[in-house]
Amino acid sequence: MPVVAAAVCPHPPLLVPEVAGGAAAELDDLRAACLAAIDRLAEADALVIVGSGPVTGTRYDASAGGSFGPYGARDVRVGSGDFVLPLSLTVGAWLVEQSKAAGLPRVSITVAVDETPAACLALGQEIAHGNDRVALLVMGDGSPRRSEHSPVHLHPRAELFDSTVAAALDLADTDTLAALDPDIATELHAAGRAPWQVLAGATATAGLRGHLAYHAAPYGVGYFVASWTL
Amino acid sequence: MAIVNRTPDSFFDRGATYATDAAYEAIDRAVADGADLVDIGGVKAGYGEPVSEEEELRRTVDFVAGIRDRHPDLVISVDTYRSGVARRVGAAGANLINDTWAGSDPQMPAAAAEVGAGLVCSHVGGLTPRTDPHRMAYDDVVADVIRTTTGLAERAVAEGVSRDAIVIDPTHDFGKNTLQSLELTRRLDELAATGWPVLVAVSNKDFIGETLDLPPGQRGTGTIAALSVSAWLGARVFRVHDVPAARQALDLIAVLRGVALPAGTRRSLA
Repeated sequence: MPVVAAAVCPHPPLLVPEVAGGAAAELDDLRAACLAAIDRLAEADALVIVGSGPVTGTRYDASAGGSFGPYGARDVRVGSGDFVLPLSLTVGAWLVEQSKAAGLPRVSITVAVDETPAACLALGQEIAHGNDRVALLVMGDGSPRRSEHSPVHLHPRAELFDSTVAAALDLADTDTLAALDPDIATELHAAGRAPWQVLAGATATAGLRGHLAYHAAPYGVGYFVASWTL
Repeated sequence: MAIVNRTPDSFFDRGATYATDAAYEAIDRAVADGADLVDIGGVKAGYGEPVSEEEELRRTVDFVAGIRDRHPDLVISVDTYRSGVARRVGAAGANLINDTWAGSDPQMPAAAAEVGAGLVCSHVGGLTPRTDPHRMAYDDVVADVIRTTTGLAERAVAEGVSRDAIVIDPTHDFGKNTLQSLELTRRLDELAATGWPVLVAVSNKDFIGETLDLPPGQRGTGTIAALSVSAWLGARVFRVHDVPAARQALDLIAVLRGVALPAGTRRSLA
């Protein structure tokens, strides 16, 4: 069965107001864009959240716990269970729980940051065949090497790489996402490469139209929000 | 511990003591203002122009020897992550190696031992030298700092560094976000409880700047507040830019803690 909608969001801990403190308002527009994109997933029968993790293919149900304690905000958590979710899926669940898609049955799946493109595409195809009318929430960040004040030193290719991703997300161009070079992504610390390639595998024949709602690097890290719908 | 950088680009002083004469004057002034130690740095901590080992040696070795001549009893620390530099400055008279990048050079403890110097054992969360933290995550940042720094300290002892010449440093901001550095400050007593002397380097750092929303030039009062809490919770060595302010705060805290007496108490007593 096809993937009927997809959203792409970044996962900086800074997105969580209790982590950002007085800086929370700086990402109001990004948070709003994420929630609007996830709201559009609410018509599906089930939600699959994909995000980077230590290995590929670990699956969690909606009760799986995640915490922002490791980033300094002990009181902010998702799920009711033990803290097992990686950051990407913790932010994903945190966003979903505030959105119109909160009531959907959901599963979260990890993909290793260094997974091969072929395995990412295969995981995407498996997700697309696994359920009826699936919506995908794909968590992925661009390069943290975008500016002189980036967390990781400026890399001259970071901007071009992120612009390529932005254009592909805007056009639902699965071929371009599938062709992203894992070595360049690693050099640029672009953690979204593997999850985006899962998206490409899951939607290659779904006929979705893309819309890029947000692309900026306010702290030198590339953030994207995209909405893919029928 | 007064900071005197032989760098053109450090974040706070921006090269004020890069020139030799200015650096010697800064040392003399620090000693006059009450510093017990000086910490000499030849490489900016953060990202910046690469500094070769030769250049770092050029900036530090003769300077350390010169300080030793002028101040025979001053404790001289050198902030370096290179064992080759540690050996040379140790031979020139340095007493302490401030290995801020937490043993990134595995030869460091042996180098310190070889020249009879002490060692500052730091925590940077696994970062490589001169890089910034990005989304560092700790189940318990204090526990991680204790495990890492005391592990480095025991290793240093095993490699021949004198046990009483080792201090541990939670290394605020290095490999930590602001919330994590604040947590370390709040729970500094847990580090002190390890028994190892604790060094804190909070002076003008970003966790103070982010907390108060102030740029580097305006963090002096916040620095004294963080330093005072650290002292109250058991820190023993304080790496600072503003020696007179730190000295005054620490002298008062020593009396509050009951380990020193007031200079004179005449009010209402005559």
